[in-house]
Amino acid sequence: MSRVDPIRVMVVDDHPMWRDAVARDLAEAGCEVVAAVGEGRQAVRAAGAVRPDVAVVDLQLPDISGVEVTGALAVAGVRVLILSASGEHADVLEAVKAGATGYLVKSAAREEFLAAVRNTAEGHPVFTPGLAGLVLGEYRRLATAPREPDAPRLTARETEVLRLVARGLTYKQIAERLVLSHRTVQNHVQNTLGKLHLHNRVELVRYAIEKGLDAD
Amino acid sequence: MSRIAPAGSDGRALQAPLWRAIAVFRVASLGYATAIVATNVRHYRHPAGGWVVVAVMAAWTAAMVAAYASAARRRLPMLVADVAVAAGCLLATGVVETPHRLAGGAPNLTVSWVAASVMACGVAGGRGWGALAGAAIGACDVGLHHRLGQDTLNGVILLLVTGFVAGHVGRLTRDAEVRLARAVELEAATRERERLARRIHDSVLQVLALVRRRGQELDGEAAELGRLAGEQEVALRALIGTGAGAEAGEADLRELLAVHASTGVSLSAPATPVPLPAHAAREVVAAVGAALDNVHRHCGATAKAWVSVEEADGEVIVSVRDDGPGIPPGRLSAAAAAGRLGVAQSILGRVRDLGGAAEISSRPGEGTEIELRIPVM
Repeated sequence: MSRVDPIRVMVVDDHPMWRDAVARDLAEAGCEVVAAVGEGRQAVRAAGAVRPDVAVVDLQLPDISGVEVTGALAVAGVRVLILSASGEHADVLEAVKAGATGYLVKSAAREEFLAAVRNTAEGHPVFTPGLAGLVLGEYRRLATAPREPDAPRLTARETEVLRLVARGLTYKQIAERLVLSHRTVQNHVQNTLGKLHLHNRVELVRYAIEKGLDAD
Repeated sequence: MSRIAPAGSDGRALQAPLWRAIAVFRVASLGYATAIVATNVRHYRHPAGGWVVVAVMAAWTAAMVAAYASAARRRLPMLVADVAVAAGCLLATGVVETPHRLAGGAPNLTVSWVAASVMACGVAGGRGWGALAGAAIGACDVGLHHRLGQDTLNGVILLLVTGFVAGHVGRLTRDAEVRLARAVELEAATRERERLARRIHDSVLQVLALVRRRGQELDGEAAELGRLAGEQEVALRALIGTGAGAEAGEADLRELLAVHASTGVSLSAPATPVPLPAHAAREVVAAVGAALDNVHRHCGATAKAWVSVEEADGEVIVSVRDDGPGIPPGRLSAAAAAGRLGVAQSILGRVRDLGGAAEISSRPGEGTEIELRIPVM
């Protein structure tokens, strides 16, 4: 690892056996596990106290949803990596819109997981093919939804890049195929997430204003 | 009635308002009959008899309102008794009234009160019973007046219609009841399924994922066990996944493709359903299966593959890609020309039958990719 300080990680998962296994893997890889909690509210409180760099969050939590936890942590400046079951597409997408910068299925290999934590800590989105498919689908939905006139759009290039990520090509392969630099591919991918986050925040503010006006 | 009625219901809960309406009608028509008797009592041959009939009607009204409140007592003997008492009260008019006034069109003692028993038969037994009861009461009416004139005929027809309509409405509510019971049952089954899914998620799946994870770090048999656990985890997840989203006759392509997802095969798709006609969806899934078989045959069982599903304007794009050595330029068309490419027949054929197109591309070092484009209406 190139960092001098260890990455400070919080693990949020309600399954004790899984939580311990993930925490042990992280500790063995040189990360500092600053908290390992099983409930959402507890996670939000703990994040305020221990200020982790990265939170590894399961979407299925007993009290509040993983999406809510993600939103609260993202606002607090914690980078969120969703480590969840495959098949929870809608929840994963909501969590990503709420501010998560990565998604990995629980069946991912240990090395893949540790690399994802490192990337998340450095602010790089962890874009698996599955996540690319979800994000592509969401832009498609926004583009065809009649009530979303000012929804974000993908550029043709961004669509092309996301499509290749969804088909399992690595950034390096995409860069070669599209004759771009690795950095440019990374930027395109990051932009697609950034626009969704921004749109989500605008929607939340609009919602809050509407509620506020209703209250008057 | 059905045995699948919702818990706590007698199976005819929706009919309760009908029976209440009949009870209200019975009481109201009793009031009307009493007023008619009070108005005409001085002309009667047996004025006291008129009041006796009113008393009998009042007592029977009270008895029936109480009896029909319970579903268990809405049975044939009770209905026959109801019609018999109504007919008796109606025929008593012949004793109480003078023949002269009856022939002159004087009202019956019971007026519309008799219709309540006809409605009860219709609601309890259907259109047939309702019409039969109406005919019985109508026959008594005709017999009472010894003729079938315009006024008596009107009365008979009204009674028949009353019985028929009451029977029809009764049957509609019974059908609605059965459907409601089915819906309730289905909802309960769905809830149970969701509960099971949560339990499985909280226990079995976590353990399987953990076994897979630990197995990966070991060699030989343990690694194999881990891989098997991982595949079972994916299969189980696909099983307990939601079944909602697609309409009848349509299938959600994502859900059907989930059977092909495994530890070596990644599936990426939108978060929302990708509906296709059920037949088309099955064909696409079969084509993807053939493509994946091809991957495993040519690149080995450990090859990685990616299946992606994407909705575009007017079409669904499905891609199957592997990270194998790829096919050298020229080899693909040569193999197809020689008829040796199983892919050609089973994949291209299926997709072409759906009005779509398939394209195979390969770059050295980037594996082989098959892209299917299926038009959607």
